[in-house]
Amino acid sequence: MTIENNNAVKCRGVSKVFSEGELAVHALSDIDIDISAGEFVCLSGASGSGKTTLLNMIGGLDVATSGEITVTGKRLDKMSMSELADLRLHHIGFVFQAYNLIPVLSARENVEFVMQLQGVAADQRQQRAMEILEQVGLTGLENRRPAELSGGQQQRVAVARAIVSKPALILADEPTANLDSANSDKLMTLMRELNASIGTTFIISTHDEGVMKFAKRLVRLHDGRIVEDELVEEK
Amino acid sequence: MTNTSLTLAWRNIWRHPRRSLLTIAAMVFADVLLVFMLGLQLGQYRMMIDNSLSIFTGQMQVQDINYLDEPQMYRSVPEADQLAKKIRKQTGLEAVSARAYGFALASSEKRTIGVQITGVDPAHEQQVSTIPGLISKGRFLSTASANEAVIGSTLARNLKIEVGDEVTLLGSGRDGSIAATILPVVGIFNSGNRDLDRQMMEIPIDNFRDVFAMGDHAHSIIVAGEREKADSYSQTIESIIKDDSKLILHDWEALLPGLKQAIEADFFSAWIMYALLIVLVAFSMMNTMLMSVLERTHEFGILLALGVRHSRLGRIIFAESVVLAFTGMIVGILAGSLLTLYFYHNGFTYPGMEEMGERFNIPSVLIPEVSLRTILPGPLVVMIASVIASIYPVWHMRKLRPIQALQAA
Amino acid sequence: MSTGTQLSWRVIFRLAWRNLWRNHRRSLIMLSAIALGVWGMIWMTALMRGMVDQMIDNSIKTLSGHIQIHAPGYLDDPSIEHLIPPVDTSPALQELLHSSDVVVWSQRIRVPAVIRSEREVYAVTLVGIDPEKEQGLSFIGESITDGDYISSVNDNRLLVGRKLLERLETKLNRRVVLMSQDPGNNIAERGFRIGGVFDTDPQATETSYVFGGLETVRKMLNMGSGVSEISLLGHDYRKLDALKNKAQSAAMENADVKTWAEQDPYMGTMLNVMDGFILIWFTIIFLALSFGLVNTLLMAVFERTREIGLVQALGMKSSNILLMVLVESIIMLIIGLVAGNILTWLTILPVQDGIDISGVAEGLEWAGMSSTLLPALQIKDVVLANTVVLVLGILASLFPAWRASRKVPIEAITRVWQ
Repeated sequence: MTIENNNAVKCRGVSKVFSEGELAVHALSDIDIDISAGEFVCLSGASGSGKTTLLNMIGGLDVATSGEITVTGKRLDKMSMSELADLRLHHIGFVFQAYNLIPVLSARENVEFVMQLQGVAADQRQQRAMEILEQVGLTGLENRRPAELSGGQQQRVAVARAIVSKPALILADEPTANLDSANSDKLMTLMRELNASIGTTFIISTHDEGVMKFAKRLVRLHDGRIVEDELVEEK
Repeated sequence: MTNTSLTLAWRNIWRHPRRSLLTIAAMVFADVLLVFMLGLQLGQYRMMIDNSLSIFTGQMQVQDINYLDEPQMYRSVPEADQLAKKIRKQTGLEAVSARAYGFALASSEKRTIGVQITGVDPAHEQQVSTIPGLISKGRFLSTASANEAVIGSTLARNLKIEVGDEVTLLGSGRDGSIAATILPVVGIFNSGNRDLDRQMMEIPIDNFRDVFAMGDHAHSIIVAGEREKADSYSQTIESIIKDDSKLILHDWEALLPGLKQAIEADFFSAWIMYALLIVLVAFSMMNTMLMSVLERTHEFGILLALGVRHSRLGRIIFAESVVLAFTGMIVGILAGSLLTLYFYHNGFTYPGMEEMGERFNIPSVLIPEVSLRTILPGPLVVMIASVIASIYPVWHMRKLRPIQALQAA
Repeated sequence: MSTGTQLSWRVIFRLAWRNLWRNHRRSLIMLSAIALGVWGMIWMTALMRGMVDQMIDNSIKTLSGHIQIHAPGYLDDPSIEHLIPPVDTSPALQELLHSSDVVVWSQRIRVPAVIRSEREVYAVTLVGIDPEKEQGLSFIGESITDGDYISSVNDNRLLVGRKLLERLETKLNRRVVLMSQDPGNNIAERGFRIGGVFDTDPQATETSYVFGGLETVRKMLNMGSGVSEISLLGHDYRKLDALKNKAQSAAMENADVKTWAEQDPYMGTMLNVMDGFILIWFTIIFLALSFGLVNTLLMAVFERTREIGLVQALGMKSSNILLMVLVESIIMLIIGLVAGNILTWLTILPVQDGIDISGVAEGLEWAGMSSTLLPALQIKDVVLANTVVLVLGILASLFPAWRASRKVPIEAITRVWQ
């Protein structure tokens, strides 16, 4: 964690204040954290502790009130909206709680969509989408639309879409919130495998103990501050 | 990317088939009306123009430069027959004929009425006017110097004369001398045009020249021919008369300004009505697109999170409205053309049409025009208006923040 | 618990009102569309009515009057041969013309003639008039812009139209010669001094007619006491049947009595076609509106499927839900209508003195109109427009309302959005 070059994410004094009229809510206060390439981090904490806010800011979806965020060596606070969009397109993958997918596109088309945005040629797109879907265990379901897939399957498609462009960083915000524990375990196992096989950095927010046990590093947030940051022993 | 935008657009449209169908139906409704009405209007105008021009006026006329404004007898065209011959030769048109106009008191045994006397060239008049073919009794004039006359049916009735009776004409010639002659009526025409039937007498042009002291002059050289080729004819004729500063070529718009303006007035007022219809349809479109956009805010958040720029997001939504509007246009053009084609083959009439037709020289059954210029403009304007109306929903998305979008249900 | 109690109107109204504003953008767009639709309906109708009124007014003022009485055969052959006895020889006619059914009347001599100046000759219609009685009956009494109106039936000056004056290349107070035919088929000729010049719409009228004193014209034509026509105005140009019948029975059995509409079938038809045309116009506009209206309501209902299922589960009656959606639609229609009527009122006030349309004047003249257009706002059209929108609007809302009131399957209540 001392080698700057190897940092996937670097936060320095990051604060976020939501003001609602007279009232100011400190969602994040003075967060410092470094996450190296290849880590598998779980952000835990009760709802309202600031997990989602932190993830959104690392993903460039939201802007910090103060402090610096560096992702893959680039300062997010110095970037324009469209530069942020390009950063997300090429270097960051997202997995949300639910409704991750574009409802009018099939599983394969959802995965291909990102590649189309990146300008990947059509024949390569299809082949790669099929490979990735096979990797997440969805062979045979490629042509189903999201409404025809179960919640767990939908989340797998979301993961497939997130990794398809080989991003440096994948941000998952409570990805298992709508899944039962069996499906939840399957999804987490998949993400751990991908972390190991392709080396992508994962940051996953959760308040589920069952998810935390998959973490290689566990960061606990409380009232917008980091209260615990530990490496977990491999079992 | 265009492909994906179109695929996305097409599929999104059918997420709410009923809503999209209703929106398309609104456009098709407007399109069908516009295609049909425009076809009807242009068909009607064409008939009005053709019928008005073919009776007497022709496509264009060469006249003395001031004759149209102040039709005095001395404002005439010299060496008219040679000029007509020259025009015939250079344009290749047979339908070129010289005329002279005068006024006289026409007396029969029982009546005296002021009439419009037109001197015509019998050899060519039937190519520029339908009157020679509308003789209801007797025959048309035989030669340019024959001593005979044909008159309008109402005039004949008012003068109480029949074919074979004689009419005495008394007027003044070009030089102010007294012009008088007696002519047998050899034919009576019934043109359907109230004014012509009531006021006009045609006599052979050389005879006219003798009576009215016209020499080799005429007042007008009438040119008829296909309206589509009018430009090339008028260029040729302009070049023939360009050396004579006293001559001018008038097109039908100048000869019948009332007809042109009646058409413009009608066209203009019709488009005001159409505009209202189009605006209402555009509102429908705006509402549909707004709904479509508002209910998908979360989805747009995902797209933004995936790295789609706002400009591209705007294009994706815009593509949707374009596809919807385009579908409406295609269906509208087809449906509108079919309806109009039906009336093209069967004719169209409505109550009051007969009286209207009489007034504007058109038959009481209208044949609508079906051509690109009738089937395209209406649906095209509807489509453009619909697409413009969808700018508001797109603009509404312009400031969408990914976070807010993702939080939307 | 699928049959609850009837909710009070107040509650239904409040629910509908709040639902309406849940998506204020959508509702505002729909309201604007309704307002604009009504505005367009009433405005276009006012313009069309104004146009037709003006055409009819011009037609009536151009000597036709509401009703004309001629000798049989005159209309076919308007010559000196076809005369009727003057009014003072017919007590029955006199009684009618002086009754309260007739507003103004006059008798005329009207024959074809030829007018000659030093330079030009034209065919015109010579009209011998009683100048006092023409006031308020035809245009001539109020159209003199140069010189004077003639003072009596014996006045020996002539009234000439502006355009004809130009064509004849003559001037006020100059002399012209009129020629016509007397009853014996001899040419009757008389010199007149031009005493007045008239300007009127359409311009064709200026070149068609010249006016002289009735007695002067009679002398010129060497004729007896007959007249060519009697023209009269009743109270309402739309309701002339009764008056026409009275005139027919009062006049000599052989007289030819015609209303203006019979004399000018084009105008008469225009007036009749008008009402039907307006209704078609209203319906077309409404149909264009209805697509948006039905769509908006269907969307509103669709969005609330779960919510409607919920209140059904709570025991709200289907009829109440149907009413709720209908009331929502009615509120929207009424607000839109009110806004549309106010908009109409505000936009029609500034132009109540007429809209200048002289740009297309000659074309309009063809159709018998003047170059300014007076919008004629008729209460019955306003009422009709509002009724069409409201009634058809409610009918169109029945489908979405019925959709809303159907039993919502339980899956719809619990299903996940997507």
